[in-house]
Amino acid sequence: MADPSSRQGLILAILGLRKHFGGVQAVNGVDLSVEPGDLRAIIGPNGAGKTTLFNLISGDLRHDTGRIYFGGEEVSGLPPHRLCRRGLGRTFQITSIFRRLSALENVQTAFLSHHRRHYNILLPARRLYRDEALALLERVGLREQAGKPSGILAHGDQRRLELAIALAGAPRLLLLDEPTAGMAPRERHEIMALVARIAGDTGLTVVFTEHDMDVVFAVARRITVLHQGTVLAEGAPAEVRANGDVQRVYLGQPVTA
Amino acid sequence: MPRAGWLGLLVVALAVAPLALPPFFLQLLTEIAIVGLFATAFNLLMGFGGMVSFGHAAYFALGAYAPALLVKRAGLPMLLALPAAPLAAAAGALLFGFFIVRLSHTYFAMLSLAFAQIVFTVIFKWKALTGGDDGLLDVWPPAALKSPAAYYYFTLAVVGLSLLALRLIVDSPFGYALRSVRENPRRARFIGIDVRRHQLVAFVISGAFSGVAGGLFAFYNGSVFPDFAYFTKSFEPLVVALLGGVQSFYGPLAGAFGFKILEWLVSRQWPVYWPLFLGSIVIVVIVVLPYGFVGLAGGRPWRTRPAAKA
Repeated sequence: MADPSSRQGLILAILGLRKHFGGVQAVNGVDLSVEPGDLRAIIGPNGAGKTTLFNLISGDLRHDTGRIYFGGEEVSGLPPHRLCRRGLGRTFQITSIFRRLSALENVQTAFLSHHRRHYNILLPARRLYRDEALALLERVGLREQAGKPSGILAHGDQRRLELAIALAGAPRLLLLDEPTAGMAPRERHEIMALVARIAGDTGLTVVFTEHDMDVVFAVARRITVLHQGTVLAEGAPAEVRANGDVQRVYLGQPVTA
Repeated sequence: MPRAGWLGLLVVALAVAPLALPPFFLQLLTEIAIVGLFATAFNLLMGFGGMVSFGHAAYFALGAYAPALLVKRAGLPMLLALPAAPLAAAAGALLFGFFIVRLSHTYFAMLSLAFAQIVFTVIFKWKALTGGDDGLLDVWPPAALKSPAAYYYFTLAVVGLSLLALRLIVDSPFGYALRSVRENPRRARFIGIDVRRHQLVAFVISGAFSGVAGGLFAFYNGSVFPDFAYFTKSFEPLVVALLGGVQSFYGPLAGAFGFKILEWLVSRQWPVYWPLFLGSIVIVVIVVLPYGFVGLAGGRPWRTRPAAKA
């Protein structure tokens, strides 16, 4: 495992990150380092601090102490829109899209913002980045739904749309908070395979949380296990699976017990 | 008939109206155009930005008082003074909006109302400059624009250009981003949009065009009074936009037309009962016509019902 304190060549390095809500220490001294091109799963029981960790990394929440480096630069305390400009994309556990805009407009708006055209008041936006947006919708399997208001799309399609919105910003690092939540098992594997393909094609680094262990062990290159706000274990899927601590707190008792 | 055909017909009808209509109706149409612009500017915030202002009279009043003061105190002619309307209103919107956009929903509305009441109070109390309760009288356009028909054409031209500009803004990348802020501020931040700043820019644009409406009204009315900034005036664009349909760009215009025509019809028969009528109409529209008057014409720009949020 790379040392987060060196942070050279790391896309994401986190040092001693802490966050408490009242008396609850949600994130309790997390160190984490992610190398470019990684497909990293963050797993852990409910309340382990996964979503809080994501919200800290993405600037949605302010941490109490610790440091966050993104692409070698400290980004602690930067607001989300600035982090986004530096190449951080994310999706949410509860689908977050622009519900009364069409699927196409959702992705177009993300492209407009990414290309810093969002203060332009002179051009008609309808044709701008239309082809790019349609191509991206095609990629996530929503080409046929492009003209529909996104709020009436099926749940799984909304998850795909949110992925497309995040990808439109050409992120270097993509945080996916339970991207398959609420999906049927087959669709889960489909969407994570899609994420893995896109990551492979573009060199995008992905960090995701996921409850379905089948999915995690099928796609993750490395796995970080959180437990009570700290990192319990980290390594390749086989190492994590074999780790006694992880089995005890999370995966269930070892078969031989 | 295609949309462009209807629009052409409307333009021709408005252009020949002075040949067919007596001055009273030209004045009514002038007022409709001014209220329509005010409500459309207001709706840039409400319909497209998801921000409900209870204090837009402040920018209407700044737009009315700035050119009126230049005419009365500096002796400028109307055409030189009028550009001060959007400038003063935009400056006020920038100053107040800086604080207002930091809040959302009810708090946004109440702070906008509070600032408008400050504007009202300053105008009301600063007698030496504004004339206080007596207002500023004899604020007239030059002789060439003084007749109802001439001022009607002038108003139509200014309102038409303003609406065109607002339409461009709504359809621009800025407008798309504004809608995304309305739909989901959190998501908007994560596509790189500085939500507060975007809201502030929209607030200033909305304030500036409200100021244009105020400036036009000042010279139409020939005088300006503190109650231009009073909170009852702030509810005018809200009611007009609601009646016409906030989901559509043209809703507030339709609302202004319906509002003013109904006001005239009711007031000339039963002047005391107009507020009662208005209240009843608002209730009926909200319950029966969630898309406002434009909903009658099948206009459902968002296609999904507003209730489908959540």
